Amino acid sequence: MILSKKEISILIEIVFSILFTLIFLPYFYRNQETSFVFSELIGKVTEIIIFSIIYFSVAYSLLEFTYKSKITEDERCDMINSKSYKLGYLLYEFSLFIFIGTLVNSSIHQNGGIIFLILSLLLIVSVVKSIYQFYLHRTF
Amino acid sequence: MELKNNLKEFRNKKDYTQEDLGKSVGVSRQTIISIERYRYKPSLELAMKIAKELNVKIEKLFYFA
Repeated sequence: MILSKKEISILIEIVFSILFTLIFLPYFYRNQETSFVFSELIGKVTEIIIFSIIYFSVAYSLLEFTYKSKITEDERCDMINSKSYKLGYLLYEFSLFIFIGTLVNSSIHQNGGIIFLILSLLLIVSVVKSIYQFYLHRTF
Repeated sequence: MELKNNLKEFRNKKDYTQEDLGKSVGVSRQTIISIERYRYKPSLELAMKIAKELNVKIEKLFYFA
């Protein structure tokens, strides 16, 4: 299977997303039953935000220099992006319902579990969107 | 009624590769491949650019079948 530069860059983006989430998911998985105190939680969320800014800046800069600068973005790419981002948007809405439903059912009591759920949903939505984008690039 | 095209035929007549044609009209090689395989229907603007580049009338290049 010969992949175009665009398809390779999408696969790399999927790997970046999975790696990023794998760094933080285990921590919140272990602490699902933990009710963090506010200061501790804020500290962890700040850590995630700062890390994600640095991580994605470095990762996407590398991707930009190695692949994306050589990729021709055209109307077909725009159409594929609009389709995949539309799916991503619908999945985000759906995951919001799952999130609210889980909170209302009170199956998660501790904020460690809530953050684990949020991170898991974000990973799933992001990866499904990118896989769909990859699929469209292969088939359109 | 489906939109078809003679892109491959006219491109070969002009001795253009998919890459060459893509570059000259500002799209990727994958887009040219998709058009030739009838997977992707180009915009009117792109269709006209291709027709102009291949020096052929647009109705000869794209047709309904």
